[in-house]
Amino acid sequence: MPALLHALQDSAFSAWVVGSDSIWAYPMILTMHTVGLGIVVGAAVVIDFRLLGVGPGIPLEEVRHVFPIFWLGFTINLVSGLMLFVSEAADKATQPVFLVKLLLVILGVIVTARIRRRVFGDGSPGVLVPSAARPLAMMSIALWAGAIVAGRLMAYLK
Amino acid sequence: MDPFSAWLEGTRISTVMRDMTWLWPACESMHFIGLALLIGGAGYFDLRLLGFMRRVPMTAAKAFMPWAIAGFAMNFVTGTAFFVMAPHMYVPSAAWWAKVFFIIVAGMNAMFFETTLGTRVMLLGPNEDTPTSFKIVGAVSLFSWFAVLFFGRMLPYIGTGN
Repeated sequence: MPALLHALQDSAFSAWVVGSDSIWAYPMILTMHTVGLGIVVGAAVVIDFRLLGVGPGIPLEEVRHVFPIFWLGFTINLVSGLMLFVSEAADKATQPVFLVKLLLVILGVIVTARIRRRVFGDGSPGVLVPSAARPLAMMSIALWAGAIVAGRLMAYLK
Repeated sequence: MDPFSAWLEGTRISTVMRDMTWLWPACESMHFIGLALLIGGAGYFDLRLLGFMRRVPMTAAKAFMPWAIAGFAMNFVTGTAFFVMAPHMYVPSAAWWAKVFFIIVAGMNAMFFETTLGTRVMLLGPNEDTPTSFKIVGAVSLFSWFAVLFFGRMLPYIGTGN
């Protein structure tokens, strides 16, 4: 495993990402990761807040259309995140705060998928938010906020 | 360093804030959470203005706007903190001025909507397509906020003047 991580980190791709002076290398990938963050967490916030009672005038059924936006942002961040990880694979794989971030993101995705199934799973949802959705929505908000903080602290807690 | 930045960095408040080493990362974390609130809340309304999700009543789609404004307020406060701590990173930066420009564009766009088109929101029936003027406002808003995000994140990399 460490050999593989070092091979990734020493690859020509990694050398380009980290070493290139071009703003299209590391800066652009990093910026795409932040664009994706805005879309992923922005979409999660809309879904979670609606389930917690914000915007009761929004038909619950219509919240379904926010999930594809969530997955669009997640795809952007999976791709850009993999690029950023590969370029520093051996260093990141052993950085505790990165592993915390990874865990929070995985849990965030699981909770969001659960919300999708619980509330919108079978046919059209009712008018009222199912009571099981509220704790999931609160968990989702906490997990995404935690993932953002952990991600930011990666620059400081080496 | 430009004289303004040199003066501001020499002030007591700037020095005291810089000495709190945890303050910068704490403000960064808040800045990114605020960003998500702003993009999520404003973006949702922008998509409705663009004519998506037509079964959502226009007035209901606005429900997240107070949260978007809260996100903006968080980012204005934390952004001002960054500026006070290290003005020399921003004053000569083309990316920072571009960011400020797009914040002003987004703000004026929102004010234009509220003062002129906003009242027409009530007249829009359910499932009705939005008029072109609404679509333009939504597109300008969405583009501007992502431009703000783009130039903010690119700040350390473009137009730093060195």
